[in-house]
Formats: sequence, C-alpha cells, structure tokens
Amino acid sequence: MSFGGGGGGGRGGRGGGRDAKGGGARGGQKDAGKRYFFRRRKVCKFCADKIDYVDYKDVKLLSAFVPERGKVLPRRMFGTCAEHQRKLTLAIKRARNIALLPFAAD
Amino acid sequence: MSDRVYEILFIADPNLGEPEVDALTEHIQGYAEKEGGRIQKVEKWGKKRLAYNIRKHQEGYYVLIVVEGKPSLVKEVERRIRVTDGVVKFITVRVDEELRKAEGRRAQRAKEEAKRKRPATPRPSPIEGEEVPL
Repeated sequence: MSFGGGGGGGRGGRGGGRDAKGGGARGGQKDAGKRYFFRRRKVCKFCADKIDYVDYKDVKLLSAFVPERGKVLPRRMFGTCAEHQRKLTLAIKRARNIALLPFAAD
Repeated sequence: MSDRVYEILFIADPNLGEPEVDALTEHIQGYAEKEGGRIQKVEKWGKKRLAYNIRKHQEGYYVLIVVEGKPSLVKEVERRIRVTDGVVKFITVRVDEELRKAEGRRAQRAKEEAKRKRPATPRPSPIEGEEVPL
C-alpha cells in the first residue's frame, strides 16, 4: 500500500510538473488578454515629420493640436515628446497673442 | 555683437484700403531701416479673420516683416508702432537663435543619415559555426 502510494506520489509529482507548465501557458493567455487593452504607442508628430522649429505663424499645423475651445492639451493626448510639447506650447501662446488662435472660444 | 533676426507681425486696421496698408508697411519698414535694420522679407497675408475681437475689429490685414538688426532696433520700432494709427496689434519675435538651432539639428540628422547609408555595415556571416548534420 505504501509502495503504491509512493508510485502514485511520483506520478503525481510528474503530473504537478505538467500542471505547472499548463499554468505557464494560461499565464501567457492572461498576458495576451492584457495586450488587448494596450494601445498603440503614439509617436510625436513633430519628430516623425522632422519639424525642428514649431512656427507660431503656421496656423494649420497648430490648430491640429488645439481643440475648438482653444486650450493647450496635455502631452498624453497627442503623444508629443517633451521637447516638442514645450515648443508647441510656446508657439500656441504666441499665436494667441496675435489673434491667430483663440484664448477661449465662446 | 552680431545682429539678430526679428519677425515683426502686425495687424492693420481692416477699414484701411489696400494702398493704405502698403503705405503703412513702408512706414514701419522705414522705422526699422532708420535704426540700422536690414529688411529680409515682407509678407502680406491679406485680410484674415481674427480669432478674437481686438478693439472691436473682427478681421484685419496681417503683414509680416522680417528684419535683421540690433536689440535697440526693436525697442524703437515697437515704440513707434504703438504711436502709429492703423495698427491694431503687433508682435515681435526673435527668431535667429531658434532657426539656427533647427538648422543645426537638420544638419546633424543629414550627417547621421549619410553615416547610416555609407558603411553598409558588414553583416556577420550567418551562422558559420553551426553546421547542418548530414
């Protein structure tokens, strides 16, 4: 009885090993599930288009980064890199000063 | 000190006629030249709608003047613009430094691109040690 039990335990051990592998596979599936929520990383438009100087006179470009209401949006909205976000902000402020962009739309 | 480059962008009264705006532009160019500035570019954007009302105007003529000169030029030209009738609003921006930096970055990028292309990186020959057993 004890002999059989030992054998069973051995098999159980092997089985446990397989179970662990199975668990690993399931873990992978869980990762895949997480990937479902992962959004594509936004790339800074200015880096992609190689715009080194963000011109405050270029209303067409700036208005793409300013919503109707005229606010400066946070970086996470457009994925701009820190450097270009700084330049963009400055350009927007200059454009506002000379009435190319609104301070606050009504 | 070497001279700096400034952009003077101003909005002229929309009630002025085209020739009057031209005359006004000439005047302001004259101010800058009198202070030892060299006009690099004059751009007339024409009548544009303002993003918000300025002195009860809804639109205005935009004129851009790019001028090279000393910092003292800006002070004097701005003072003169303020007392000039027909200018609704103006802005002066120093651009030489920013443009120089941008130019440098562009040159850097061109250099890197050339470097990437030229040496055609000699690739390590694929799997030399590994031999397929017969």
